[in-house]
Amino acid sequence: MKRLLPILASALLVLGAASPAIAENAKLTFVYWGSVNEDTAMKEAFSAFEAANPGITIEPMYIQGDISGTEYAAKLRAMAQTNTLPDLGYFRPDQFGEFAAAGYMMDLTDMVQKENLTKAYLPQVWLKVKDRIYGAYTAAECQVMFYNKDVLKKAGVPVPPSDYRKGWSWDQFVKYCTMVTTDNNGKHPGEAGFDANRITTYGVSYQLWHAMLTPPLWSGGGGIVSADGKKVLIDSPESIDVIQKIADLINKQKVMPYTNPSSTSQAGLPTPPVMLANGQLGFYITGQWELLDIAKMNFPMGIGALPIIKKPAQMYVSGASVIFKSTKFPKEAWLLHKWMMTPDKTLNLYTSGLWMPTKASWYSDPIDLKKWTDNPVHPPEFKTAVLDSMNIAQPIPEVRVKNYPQIINECVNPQLDKVWLGEVSAKEALTKAAELIRQQNLMQGTW
Amino acid sequence: MRRWKTGPDFRLLAYVLLIGFSLFCVFPLIWLIRSSLMTSREMFTLPPRLLPAALQWNNYLDLFHVVPFGRYFLNTLVIVILNVVGAVMSNSLIGYAFARIRFRGRTIMYGICMATIMLPQTVTMIPLFIEWKLFHGINTYAPLTVLAFFGNGFYIFMLHQFFKTIPIEYDEAAFVDGVNHFQIVIRIIAPMSKPALAVVAIFSFLTSWNDFFGPFLYLNDQRKYTLSLGLKYLISGYSVMGQWQFLMAASVLIVLPVALLFFITQRYFIQGLTMGGLKG
Amino acid sequence: MARSSFLATMLRPRRARFLSRYNNFWGWLFLTPVVLGLSLWVAFPLGLSLFTSFAKWDLITAPVFVGFKNYIDMFTSDPLFWQAVVVTLYYTVAGVSLQVILAFLAALLLNARVRGVKAFRTMFYLPSLVPVIVSSALWMWLYNPQFGLFNVLLISLGLPPQKWVFGIQTVIPSLILMSVWGIGNIIIVFLAGLQDIPKELMEAAAIDGGSAFHRFRHIILPFMTPTILYNVVIGIIGGFQTFTQPYIMTNGGPANASLFYVLHLYRQAFLFAKMGYASAMAWFVFIATGVVSIIIFRTSTWWVFYQGDTRK
Repeated sequence: MKRLLPILASALLVLGAASPAIAENAKLTFVYWGSVNEDTAMKEAFSAFEAANPGITIEPMYIQGDISGTEYAAKLRAMAQTNTLPDLGYFRPDQFGEFAAAGYMMDLTDMVQKENLTKAYLPQVWLKVKDRIYGAYTAAECQVMFYNKDVLKKAGVPVPPSDYRKGWSWDQFVKYCTMVTTDNNGKHPGEAGFDANRITTYGVSYQLWHAMLTPPLWSGGGGIVSADGKKVLIDSPESIDVIQKIADLINKQKVMPYTNPSSTSQAGLPTPPVMLANGQLGFYITGQWELLDIAKMNFPMGIGALPIIKKPAQMYVSGASVIFKSTKFPKEAWLLHKWMMTPDKTLNLYTSGLWMPTKASWYSDPIDLKKWTDNPVHPPEFKTAVLDSMNIAQPIPEVRVKNYPQIINECVNPQLDKVWLGEVSAKEALTKAAELIRQQNLMQGTW
Repeated sequence: MRRWKTGPDFRLLAYVLLIGFSLFCVFPLIWLIRSSLMTSREMFTLPPRLLPAALQWNNYLDLFHVVPFGRYFLNTLVIVILNVVGAVMSNSLIGYAFARIRFRGRTIMYGICMATIMLPQTVTMIPLFIEWKLFHGINTYAPLTVLAFFGNGFYIFMLHQFFKTIPIEYDEAAFVDGVNHFQIVIRIIAPMSKPALAVVAIFSFLTSWNDFFGPFLYLNDQRKYTLSLGLKYLISGYSVMGQWQFLMAASVLIVLPVALLFFITQRYFIQGLTMGGLKG
Repeated sequence: MARSSFLATMLRPRRARFLSRYNNFWGWLFLTPVVLGLSLWVAFPLGLSLFTSFAKWDLITAPVFVGFKNYIDMFTSDPLFWQAVVVTLYYTVAGVSLQVILAFLAALLLNARVRGVKAFRTMFYLPSLVPVIVSSALWMWLYNPQFGLFNVLLISLGLPPQKWVFGIQTVIPSLILMSVWGIGNIIIVFLAGLQDIPKELMEAAAIDGGSAFHRFRHIILPFMTPTILYNVVIGIIGGFQTFTQPYIMTNGGPANASLFYVLHLYRQAFLFAKMGYASAMAWFVFIATGVVSIIIFRTSTWWVFYQGDTRK
């Protein structure tokens, strides 16, 4: 009898500690965007969570977001104003700082530190404002170069290196693109009789929105703005050089089709991937998330190291996952938040090629690596060309730097459009862009 | 329809031009239909094919797996019916009042109603959202339907013009029999105004059927979404290859009922606009 | 109340006062929906947005009163504001003119005893039935420089391919072309107007001899002026509010060449969280639309001819 009491007491303690104080029937609304596949995968993850945590139900709030997220942002802003925000979910990275600073996100610092989660994830993952953690990157995404093996073979072009540190130099890259580009008479740019209006196969297509320009800019020693939000970098000679190089692909070397200006939403017609699959394009430089669709397109696809201008560079880009401070179930929300950050729970999103994990071990631990890369979607060179490059991946400034949307949309993009169209030189356009940024006093540091 | 005698040369020219313009109008829609029957990749081949290699009727079926179109259709129908009923009812009374009843402040009120036609929607968008939050109308169909019952400047104008063309003798005869204004509207004006009312019904049907921004702003629950939201979802850029074939199929399905409606009610449309006397 | 003759009561002054009260009651009764509607859905939001236009508000922190700063900034320190005005004016003026002229022409042709009028009418109207989202996506595709039908046609005819909505000089004309695709509405209104021309006049003119052009200029045109006025005004009002097509197809580009006014406004409100500034822009276009309409109506008395009594 005397021994029973301590046993009972410890049993209660253990039980009490093991089960977190879950409210009876907590209901969490999780807001997110994405494609059909994502929606399905998310809902599967939610069901799995509900099964593992009886007492919590999840109400998915699926918002159809356009790539620039304006509508998503509008909706959340309206909800914030009227106090109808969901409990947790995705958030636009370029508006994260503003909302966090205004107190709409839950401060996660203590919980992260208590549970020792900082090291478990990639260093870029936890998003901070003034040294307090208010959210995390949902996934890890970066830039990759896809190519069509048959197109390259036909042009007599070697397959690009698969080690990100050994990517082609820019001149080599342009040379190979020129070899791939042919008009309907089989002529290449620069040859007599080449008709630029009758090109049947193009060498390369770069996506031209700001995130896609960042790695080449960094590779060339330039940038858009400094990471501390204080300096304009877009008008530096290095940046001008890089932009001019890309623009020349379109207008001078004629190896790149002009498909979408910087300022249109990146959703547009799926021209480059279709051209790639149809054998009308050799190289396609875009976000790694396009692997999801490209892998399904049934053509001999490869992934190569990005061309190197001065040094290898890579970016870290992703949406943000946050918990809103107004939630009535903070503990439950935190559980769900962690669940969604566990790659095992949403494995489909990783194996399909859409996301890369945020958990550090999934890049180094062979068992974890195998879980998501050992499938037909991820070609063998994926590790050395893409994964390893995450070691040098810098997050793009959109989360930290104040006024980033304005800098990009009002000052930089409209000027860049003219460069892609070949109407002005990069020097002229970028100088003007920098002028506009300074005029409107947009460099206000970071959140 | 009265038409003019014209020389044969003029008629030939007319045919050529009319057929030309018809092709211009219709060809993009044919392109839409043909794309809806192709696979996603087939749609983008060069040179473009006019006809699909194999008719992908399954696009129309698969569409419902990708997007719960059936439910969206019903949702949209509910909203649209409420809008039509509200528009016809409220605007008939209002238009009649402006056309027939001499009351103090009539001209000023009419002017204000006309001014609302020029109101850009953007300026009232957020304040309206806040209002609906206070009324607990978020995530319901209220913000998308209730407004129809409060009158609409454009329809008021149309019906006002139309009612003025109905000879007042009918009203007067009725007054002699001792009916009030309300009964006049129901028993006399309305039956005589079928074309104009049809026009109001059709226009409000079209507007609410195609409305995107309203449902987007107010509806959070995916089960309540409307067709236009479903459509926008298919344009979403996240799945790059996407769902262009579904977008095309969905577009065809969305346009079909409206096209049918127009076919059937064409004559009312014209009549309504004619009598409406856009003579100012 | 005695159910005496309506006309009789009208003639008696004492009765007349009752009548006006009676009418006032019924008039305002029927107007209750619109009165309520105006207060709830128009006046209050307008008031709120007017107040907001004098403030700086990002929707998540409290608004801050700034007086006329938004309006001043609009006119002096926002380079894109004037760009937006120019783009919108360009599109509206050129677009509406083209639309009205072509629609008028089409209506005239349809009226010329050609066969299959009903079929033509339907085909012309079909584009208007398509939701703007769908037509935007469709035309974006038609305009695609690589895959689009238009460039394919041009190339097959030996002509140089165009940049369409991706070129700075070509984007607005491309959008105008797309708007011409949807003039079915306007054609039908013109057709309706053509029906109102008194038959006797047309026949008399035919008998008198004189060319078709003479008939057109002296009979048809004057009688159609009210319809033309209507279409022009409606076209301009709509033109100023163009949003969806540029939003979906070009996002204001390239290089802001298609930065329509409402698109710029929308961005200020939702992308940059400048609700106050956006409200000021909204009020400016509201007033501008009003002023333009008034000018058009006032000057319309010089050229518009109304048959029968005028309302005034």
